[in-house]
Amino acid sequence: MASDRNPMSAPSPGRRSLLNWLLGTWSAGVLGSIVFPVVRYLVPPEIPEAPTLSVMAGPASTLAPNTGRLVPFGNSPAIVVRLASGELRAFAGTCTHLSCTVQYRPDLEHIWCACHNGHYDLHGRNISGPPPRPLEAYDANVQGDEIVISKKG
Amino acid sequence: MKAWLADRLPVAEVEAAIAHKTVPQHRHSIWYYLGGMTLFFFGVQVVTGILLLLYYRPSAAEAYDSVQFIMTRVPFGWLIRSIHSWAANLLVAAAFIHLFSVLFLKAYRRPREITWITGVLLLFVILAFGFTGYLLPWNELAFFATRVGTDIAGAVPFVGEATVRFLRGGPEVTGATLTRFYGVHVAVLPAIATVLVGLHLLLVQYHGMSVPPSVESEARRAGRPIPAMPFVPHFALRDLFGWTVALAMLAGLSAFLPWELGVRADPFAPAPAGIQPEWYFLWTFQALKLVPATVLGVSGELIALVGMTAGALALVFLPMLDRNTDRSRAIVTWAAIGALGFMVAMTLLALVGGHS
Amino acid sequence: MTRTLVVLFVVTVALAGAVVVRAVVPAPQEVQPRQPAVPDAADVHVRNGVTCEACHGTPLAGSSATAPIYAPIARTAIAPLCARCHADAAYMRQFAPQVRVDQYAQYQTSVHGQQMAKGETRVATCSDCHSAHGVLHVRDTRSPVAPANVAGTCARCHADADLMTPFDRSPEAFSDWKGSVHAAALLERGDLSAPTCSTCHGSHGATPPGVDTVANVCAQCHVREAELFRASPKQPVFAAMELADCLVCHNNHAIERPDDSWIGFESPAVCAICHDETTNGANVIRSVGDGLRALRRDTDEAVSLVARAEEAGVLVEDGHLALASAREAHVRLRVLVHAFAAPPFDEVLAEGRTAVEAARAAGTAGLDELDFRRTGLAIATLFILGFLVTLYIKIRRLPPITN
Repeated sequence: MASDRNPMSAPSPGRRSLLNWLLGTWSAGVLGSIVFPVVRYLVPPEIPEAPTLSVMAGPASTLAPNTGRLVPFGNSPAIVVRLASGELRAFAGTCTHLSCTVQYRPDLEHIWCACHNGHYDLHGRNISGPPPRPLEAYDANVQGDEIVISKKG
Repeated sequence: MKAWLADRLPVAEVEAAIAHKTVPQHRHSIWYYLGGMTLFFFGVQVVTGILLLLYYRPSAAEAYDSVQFIMTRVPFGWLIRSIHSWAANLLVAAAFIHLFSVLFLKAYRRPREITWITGVLLLFVILAFGFTGYLLPWNELAFFATRVGTDIAGAVPFVGEATVRFLRGGPEVTGATLTRFYGVHVAVLPAIATVLVGLHLLLVQYHGMSVPPSVESEARRAGRPIPAMPFVPHFALRDLFGWTVALAMLAGLSAFLPWELGVRADPFAPAPAGIQPEWYFLWTFQALKLVPATVLGVSGELIALVGMTAGALALVFLPMLDRNTDRSRAIVTWAAIGALGFMVAMTLLALVGGHS
Repeated sequence: MTRTLVVLFVVTVALAGAVVVRAVVPAPQEVQPRQPAVPDAADVHVRNGVTCEACHGTPLAGSSATAPIYAPIARTAIAPLCARCHADAAYMRQFAPQVRVDQYAQYQTSVHGQQMAKGETRVATCSDCHSAHGVLHVRDTRSPVAPANVAGTCARCHADADLMTPFDRSPEAFSDWKGSVHAAALLERGDLSAPTCSTCHGSHGATPPGVDTVANVCAQCHVREAELFRASPKQPVFAAMELADCLVCHNNHAIERPDDSWIGFESPAVCAICHDETTNGANVIRSVGDGLRALRRDTDEAVSLVARAEEAGVLVEDGHLALASAREAHVRLRVLVHAFAAPPFDEVLAEGRTAVEAARAAGTAGLDELDFRRTGLAIATLFILGFLVTLYIKIRRLPPITN
């Protein structure tokens, strides 16, 4: 900083309080610019956690027996199936052959891939057609009326 | 209210100490601001670090996604995270500049030896913060950089392998490494840093600011005392000015050059080409690469490690090594220039090599 | 006397020459490579204790015990010889209870088998594909009949113009298949479910599928396309014209990855083989082709929008999900082309458009977020600058330092 031996070294009280007032206002602005983001940050967001370990899969009441539903899970689809017995099961929805999205076939009562006629049973095992590996199984639970799919383990 | 406190705490003494604190004014006074700047960045890291703690998850399965979550779903999460990453780099830079300025201005002389030692240890702590923190997003670059970095410890004879296992929480870099680095980053290092920073700041207040030998002898010869600036309000307001500029820089960097998330770490994928550590470790990385595989039958890596350890020890105990004569001070200055030149040269080499 | 001697001499030389020539130049019917003389330890028969005598009978008189010589087996006799065991269920059960025993029966229905029965030996028999002495199980990746190796085995004859021309067959099939998507799947990606020669032609019962049945072969895997086609207006048309269903557009061996440009009126459109703008169905061709290409174009635009936002530092998760949906829709639309009608196609096209819109919205939101950040930064910088200026003035106005 240049020399502090300023001819204007002792400003008049009016000037000083104006300066202080300005300083106060600007610093309030600066502090606000810091505090506002921090406070917003501290408030939990709408979706409280990353949708990669578990995800909501829609109402349980609208998933009838012998039907399936596809939902997004992280970056890829997942399929939740209600068996004829009423039990809920969930699997990764990406076919292990060439990554098409699978679907539930009520007439076959198991999971099917339309791309090259791959079939998976209700444990996710590849039982017919080109798929080389089973579908990854997920846990399916019901919270209230909401189905929650989560990765196993 | 103040009277109530004054009755129970040494408020009056503290106030008096602050009011009487002065800072010498001379042609090298500009360097006095660097300690405070380092402290400022450290404070920013503490605040943003605590904020990140609220959403980060320290497991291999969740770490990357939690950082992505912070950057996409948490309001201003992108800002907090980018500030934390940028300030880490600026903290290391400020710490090094502070170190070199103290080195050149000989501020480590008696009676400030312990201040110096705590400072050097703090530098190591800051580098450890950088190394452990870098792994936490669990992305590809961090994973492989950590693997390479911890591998180096294996060059030490006898205890090398055990050291690597200790650092990694196992023989390889895994989720165990992540948890361990996390614990070190948020608990162990902050505890050590608190003690060191507290000691360092207390000693700085106690001894006041050091004046470089050249300025001292000039003032002695001229028979004039060295002008001094009151800490409050003159120096403090200037400090605040600098800190505000630094804050503006951090905000600008975060908005225009946000820190990358990178690709999720896959331990089974091959290492991508050109893995390099962060810039502040590049000089050690490059120096290690240049050392031949064996020198006179001994592992080149080991020799380099020994050399660096010797350098680190020399740095810590520098005040004891400097005899406080003109000649030994000159040696320290030239050694510092040499070290700085070496570090810059190695860093540039690594950067150029990384692009070829 | 001299004349007799000369004649005898000439005859002897001729006979000797014939013997020499016969020994050096192979007879025309020996088309397969020479078999290794002795089976190695990996041979399936050796491992199961089946000896040389089982196929070759007793050694010829005069051959030693360590190097026996057997009578040669005529090519026409090879298949019935193998069938002696391999068509006997009770016998084969001892070695592999589940193994099939109908290979010879199938062979007899095949072109190879029928030709061989007529005495034409220039066709394949058991030992040509399975080898005679180094027989490996079909599961063994070294076996010439393992899925990845089958095409190469067939190609030994079927890619050889000299061998194919006498039968009026094209030798192009193998090179056609080699450049196809099926070969890429099998050989490059290692997808063993991908079709090779035997998948469509059969192995033991190898016969090219006829024009009216070839579509059944494709339908084994391409179920959805076959279902749609059979319900489409095209099916009766092709049947009436006696055209092979899938092959007209997709070829039989040189099957390429289809492209959106295949739907239209100009090359490389396959519709143009029969259709032009005046024919029946022209409007369907136009709407389907345009729909496909428009979706592709819009998806690419959305991709670059999202990429722009991400390059500037804003992560766009929702955009990626929506883009995946859009690409899915595109795949499904290409399948729905085989319905050759607007309704099912248009339904999925609408879904695709919605997904692209969502992706575009996410990308735009990302760019808006960028603007928000820059505006926020501008405001904060304004406050900071005001503060710095005021602070500077305050610092300059501080009382001078007195010592």
